[in-house]
Amino acid sequence: MMRWATLSLFLLAGICMWQGVWIEAKAWLAQGLISNAWARSDSADDHIPPWSWADTWPVARLAVPRLDVQRIVLAGVSGRTLAFGPGWVEQTVLPGKDGRVMIAGHRDTHFRFLKDLVSGDQLLVQNADGDEVSYWVTEVAVVNETAGWLMGPSTVSELVLVTCYPFDSMIPGGDLRFIVRAQAEPLFPQGEKSG
Amino acid sequence: MKLDARPSQDSVTAGVSSLMKPVFLWEMLFTLLSAVLTGLSASLLLILLVFGWTSVQAETGSPTSGRLSLHALDGRLLQQAPLLDTQVSTYVSGLLARVRVEQQFSNPTGEWMEGIYQFPLPEDSAVDQLRMVIGERIIEGRIAEKAQAKRTYEKAKASGQRASLLSQQRPNIFSTSVANIAPGEHVRVVIEYQQTILYEKGRYEWRFPLVIGPRYIPGTPLVAAASSTLSGGSVDTDQVPDASRITPPVLDPAEGQINPVAIEVSLDAGMPVTEIISQYHPVIEHRDIQGTVNLRLAEGEVPADRDFLLSWRAPVGMYPKTAVFTESWKNEAYAMLMVMPPDQEHESQRLSREMMFVVDSSGSMHGASMTQAKAALRLAMSRLREDDTFNLIHFSNQSHALFPQARSGSKANRLKAMRFVDGLRAEGGTEMMPALRMALKGGDAGGRLRQVVFLTDGSVGNETALFELIRRQLGESRLFTIGIGSAPNSFFMRRAAEFGRGSFTYIGDLGEVESRMLALFNKLEHPAMSDIHIEWEGQAPLEILPARIPDLYLGEPLLVVVKSESLDGEMLIQGDRDGTVWRHRVDWPSKKTHEGLHKLWARQQIKSLMSSTVGGESVEVRRQQVLQLALRHQLVSAYTSLIAVERQPVRPLSAPLKGGPVPLNLPVGWDANHVFGSLPQTATYGPLSLLTGLLLMLAALWLQRRKAS
Repeated sequence: MMRWATLSLFLLAGICMWQGVWIEAKAWLAQGLISNAWARSDSADDHIPPWSWADTWPVARLAVPRLDVQRIVLAGVSGRTLAFGPGWVEQTVLPGKDGRVMIAGHRDTHFRFLKDLVSGDQLLVQNADGDEVSYWVTEVAVVNETAGWLMGPSTVSELVLVTCYPFDSMIPGGDLRFIVRAQAEPLFPQGEKSG
Repeated sequence: MKLDARPSQDSVTAGVSSLMKPVFLWEMLFTLLSAVLTGLSASLLLILLVFGWTSVQAETGSPTSGRLSLHALDGRLLQQAPLLDTQVSTYVSGLLARVRVEQQFSNPTGEWMEGIYQFPLPEDSAVDQLRMVIGERIIEGRIAEKAQAKRTYEKAKASGQRASLLSQQRPNIFSTSVANIAPGEHVRVVIEYQQTILYEKGRYEWRFPLVIGPRYIPGTPLVAAASSTLSGGSVDTDQVPDASRITPPVLDPAEGQINPVAIEVSLDAGMPVTEIISQYHPVIEHRDIQGTVNLRLAEGEVPADRDFLLSWRAPVGMYPKTAVFTESWKNEAYAMLMVMPPDQEHESQRLSREMMFVVDSSGSMHGASMTQAKAALRLAMSRLREDDTFNLIHFSNQSHALFPQARSGSKANRLKAMRFVDGLRAEGGTEMMPALRMALKGGDAGGRLRQVVFLTDGSVGNETALFELIRRQLGESRLFTIGIGSAPNSFFMRRAAEFGRGSFTYIGDLGEVESRMLALFNKLEHPAMSDIHIEWEGQAPLEILPARIPDLYLGEPLLVVVKSESLDGEMLIQGDRDGTVWRHRVDWPSKKTHEGLHKLWARQQIKSLMSSTVGGESVEVRRQQVLQLALRHQLVSAYTSLIAVERQPVRPLSAPLKGGPVPLNLPVGWDANHVFGSLPQTATYGPLSLLTGLLLMLAALWLQRRKAS
């Protein structure tokens, strides 16, 4: 009897751990496929799904030179999308355009690096059209999930990265969010923007 | 088959020894793993406990001094800040208003405080005065270059002197900072500005904005965004000292409301007025013998959470047709001139028009935006008449026109257009240039008035090129932009309409489509006064602002401010309405004088300099010009601020200075959750699964071990 209990406990533990590992593995393996799809996207209208049944497509590349971090951003923030990569909140403006862009990612996978960002860090966002915008981190803060105005329109070009907080909490579904706000270069310093 | 898992002694040795024994693979693997992960799980558990604990602590906080410990909308505990009480007094004289805003910063705490308050003002307000009042003492502010004023303020703040600083963040957003408010003290900051009253066909309107929304409310003039970005990143960050001021904390409505305001208006219209209406706040009216109407809020004080809007009318038949005010200032003559073009014969011949509808069907319009655009288009179609011609263009990556040529507004054509509209789908990119070119090219309109109605969210990056295109190709067409959706680029659309000599309409939600579109169509269907120019024969040349007089739509008066060395001369205004020339000789100069017209002129000049992006003078040249104007006329601008400093330091340097931004109310009708939704969910079950797995593993090991012993 005891032996059976032990065995089933081991089995259950195995399943649980495999699930945890699989979430992580999936998150990173998918980035490979997504990178391929990204490489084939020559225009913001291409919408190339990383695998045939995917309901999302790569929209941008986010890079943090200081941390040597690079992520391909997918369209949308549904749970299914976020499992494979950070997602662009579709009600905000398209990455690479002027206005407020919000990108969300999982704190335990793709957006774990957010905790290492500090004011003044440079963030580079490139969309499939090749538009590239440089942002500089101006604020790092913890907010409640109700801070929906951060998804509202803005008159300045701003990038908001969002992930769950606290970083090392085990329980998903908390109501705190860690946000990184970064401002773009002035829209019209002199003449046209390149790109 | 019997699952024989040999009892092992302890986790580590078990892993090693079981390698040599025939055991099941899964057990071996997991025992090994468990050994490695046990330590990890313990530390994770520890981290969870620590973080869980601290986050709970941060959330609960400890409510300290009652009302002063408040939470922002985003759940943050707000920093203690001075309390604010505002008193607004307006004196309206004809078409001009002089407004005094008194902000009282009170410090009920036992510490020295600084208060920073961000507030809106009408975008055409010429702010020229700041006074700091402490008890009986009055310290007059002076105008100074913005960065320098900021330095002076910071220095005074550090050395314990009372100081206040008034800066412009955007043409319609200002901020006051007050340093070193003693415990228990009140410091009053008195700001004054001048502005013109909005006048349209017998109806006057004075609007006083009271709160800035957590986002910039579309529809309010946002020359703003443009000019701040235009001033260049580095300058901007220098001048906007902390990010919290651009997005001031917003009080959670659950905490109640703060920032009470009292408003008084003294209406000296120079004629009997009727239909005095305060749109959102009940007022008490009192008329004195001279005919001046005095109004104040019925409730005394209201929280600053929505605009105050007051309108009144001239009695029918007494609509002012012309008004001239003059002022001499420093050997220069200034004048403000209002001329109302004569009414068209009632039910004037409705102009036949060629309407070009251009609708953005790019991916960014997907969802609610497209629904609004379609509703607006359907309404537009229903207003067409047989003698009008029209066409419809939609664009994403490519532009498609409904008809090769504009066609008559016959029922069949309109039905075709409706079907076309119904079939529109929002997808693809935003290639605006070809569509705009197509719409402006058009060909011969056969003597019809050519109007381009452009529906878009304006999510484009090549604004400058588009403005250039509109300027070059506009010809006889007029461009009316309609901003759609929750995040339209209103800077682009407002400026595009200015270049297109039309107007900008914002439709924020589906419910607004009808009223906004009807108002626009009313304008579109009546002939505008166009080609307005002013001829001047006088001793000295006349500088007229705005330099390019916009077309006047139904009920809109011509309003110009002029400057000259001498106003002796003849002035003739000419305009063209529907082929008829309108001439008006101005009774000039009239004797009415009014103080502060030079400030209005300077403010207009600054506005036109600030928006001269196209044609590109360098930013530095413009900065110098604006700075010079603002200093000479004593105005707050993008490059100048008002600063008042008390000579005597009051705060002992050993005492710390607390305080910060004064939180704002959430504007009425705002529900941030509702409007924008919650931030996305961004955590997986990964770590939780892993942890559960580890705990189960520990339990299993413990069982096994107990069995062994």
